[in-house]
Amino acid sequence: MPTLLDLVRSVSFLAAMPAVAGLLITAGILVVARDWRLNVIALTVQYFFVVLLLTRQIQLEVAAVKGLVGWLICMVFYLTERRADALERPAEIAEPVPAQRWQRWMMSARASFHLLAVILVAVAAYTAALRIPLPETEVPRDITLACYLLAGLGILLIGISEAPMQMGMGLLTFLSGFDLFYVALEPSLAVAGLLGGVSFLIALAAAYLRTVQAAGSAEEGAA
Amino acid sequence: MISGALLLLVLPLAMAGIVYILLRWLSTLAAWLAVGTSLALGFAAMTLPLDQPVQAWGGRQIAMGEAVTFLGRELVFEQSDRMAMAFLFFTAAGLFLLAWRFAPRALFFPIGLGLLSLLSATLLIRPLIYAALFLEMAAALAVFALQAEGRAPTRGGLRYLTFTTLALPGVLVTHWLLERYAVTPDETELLSSASILLAVSFALLLGAVPFHTWVTAVAGDSLPLAGTFVLTVGNGAVWFLLLDFLETYPWLGSYPLFTPLLSGVGVAMIVIGALLAPAQRRLGTLIGYAALVDSGASLVALGLNSRLGVSLVLLSLSVRPFGLALLAAGLGGLRARVGGGDVMTEDLRGMGWQAPWSTVAVVFGALSIAGLPISAGFACRWALCRALAPSSLGTALFLLVAGVSVMIGVWRRFSVLLMRPRSPEDRSVIPLNPTEGRLTAAVVIVVVAASVGVGLFPQVVAPLADSLAGTYTFFLP
Repeated sequence: MPTLLDLVRSVSFLAAMPAVAGLLITAGILVVARDWRLNVIALTVQYFFVVLLLTRQIQLEVAAVKGLVGWLICMVFYLTERRADALERPAEIAEPVPAQRWQRWMMSARASFHLLAVILVAVAAYTAALRIPLPETEVPRDITLACYLLAGLGILLIGISEAPMQMGMGLLTFLSGFDLFYVALEPSLAVAGLLGGVSFLIALAAAYLRTVQAAGSAEEGAA
Repeated sequence: MISGALLLLVLPLAMAGIVYILLRWLSTLAAWLAVGTSLALGFAAMTLPLDQPVQAWGGRQIAMGEAVTFLGRELVFEQSDRMAMAFLFFTAAGLFLLAWRFAPRALFFPIGLGLLSLLSATLLIRPLIYAALFLEMAAALAVFALQAEGRAPTRGGLRYLTFTTLALPGVLVTHWLLERYAVTPDETELLSSASILLAVSFALLLGAVPFHTWVTAVAGDSLPLAGTFVLTVGNGAVWFLLLDFLETYPWLGSYPLFTPLLSGVGVAMIVIGALLAPAQRRLGTLIGYAALVDSGASLVALGLNSRLGVSLVLLSLSVRPFGLALLAAGLGGLRARVGGGDVMTEDLRGMGWQAPWSTVAVVFGALSIAGLPISAGFACRWALCRALAPSSLGTALFLLVAGVSVMIGVWRRFSVLLMRPRSPEDRSVIPLNPTEGRLTAAVVIVVVAASVGVGLFPQVVAPLADSLAGTYTFFLP
């Protein structure tokens, strides 16, 4: 049976620019998409790429624990959104919106605007990685770019949305970007544990507010 | 032997669990447990000796000064932490007491105790840098308390969490920059970077202009007393952390831009608060802008860069809870009578006759936060104006005008509160059926009396603030 080390080795070819590209795509999806299933999947894959990049900076076991915390957070988000979806569905059924099949493939003005913002932030992050590099002795160039991308797109997501889950995902994306940088400076287990605790509490707070929102919608629907 | 630091961390957490369980069936007992725990820990922090163990229950001993290791980091309760911890616990006790009458079944009680544990860790952990992580955890936990029952998700809680998260990297990276500077003292740009990062991080944490949006949001749409907890206990912990940073890294205080930056940001907060407070239609956001003026005044006081300035900051921190807590209690009482929604000016018509004690709380709270006479806030605001007058008369005048401006905003609501409700026949009627009980009246009277007492006899609090200021030596001689 392959060990964790074997599994990571088999995908280690991704732990450079491909992972950075993956982070850009997944964080971009979080900003542009509003479908919770897509967002939860994007966040799960984002944590996979973050773990891949982390394996170059810290011990594999610590990176794996950080990944596990991330995937647990995704599980919390998934269960919360499922419950919220179930609570909100009766209200939606009461007012059905007829949707044409072709409309699903059309990009809304909001999504187009958000995509443009993602591209602008990506260009800004690339420029920042070239002009304001993080200390190269600690953080390689591609990871610097990943840090700036995640931090920038996380802040963008926080800025454009007031929905609890989107804001939670934005905060976690921002923290992942910072974590990629900070583990190189302070690889201690205490900091890793506390940062994991912080991420988990943020996820719980966002999930709690989403539940409150869904319960409110359900009450309005019932009334 | 039980370490004092551990006691301050673990006891509130344990009580939070008990209070959470009791809250559903025995809300009064839960509230009094929260009040009692906070008061007991406040007295323990203030009075128990640090250098010798004290006999406690079951033959156990409590050694307040003994350090304890947590995840390889040291937690230690020192002499300089006494007043800070006492401030956190006593303020929390006062807020829990008010919440007993104005938010009896709120999650605020258990979450507030949990927050006390995390904020204690923030002040006791060494090195200081890890405090930022506990502060961030506290912000995330505060979201649960800030969410009012039956209302839309709190924007304020999310914004508070967001700004605290954005402040986290700056504080953590500063530690690394300073360690690097210790190895290579020639690289002075490391100090500049560290100063800028710390300044931005603390501006985010304190809600300084232009990062003040979370302050008004927290005050506007959250559970009022939980919002006040964040703006007094949470903000107080940040202030003590800032003072600890300035004490640990004294070069920060001697940075050329330190004084003008603090004063400039403080004045900006005062001006923005003064301009926007009277224009608010919602009482909650008005409280937020009043808190902004008060924080601005504290920054201006710190900008004096002297022992007097630090004394005034600490005095301001110790009297702020009177104003904000009374306003929050009053807002909570009024909200309960308009169905738990936002309290707009037009909703308040004649409410003063139905909720007289909430109205009294609003008026006396406003007097204190505006720094006007016969209130706790006056003692601090007047002393600051006198300290500023010789060197910066303009700032002193701004401060006085800001206080009046906040009071004008509250006065407009007060006049609406006392309007006579109109009957369907458009005839004035005064229903003499106040719905607030005697216990509510007693609690409001106690807090108002304490506020007026501190306002009339500031010599009770001022020497404590001054002696605590004496433990900080970073300011210019």
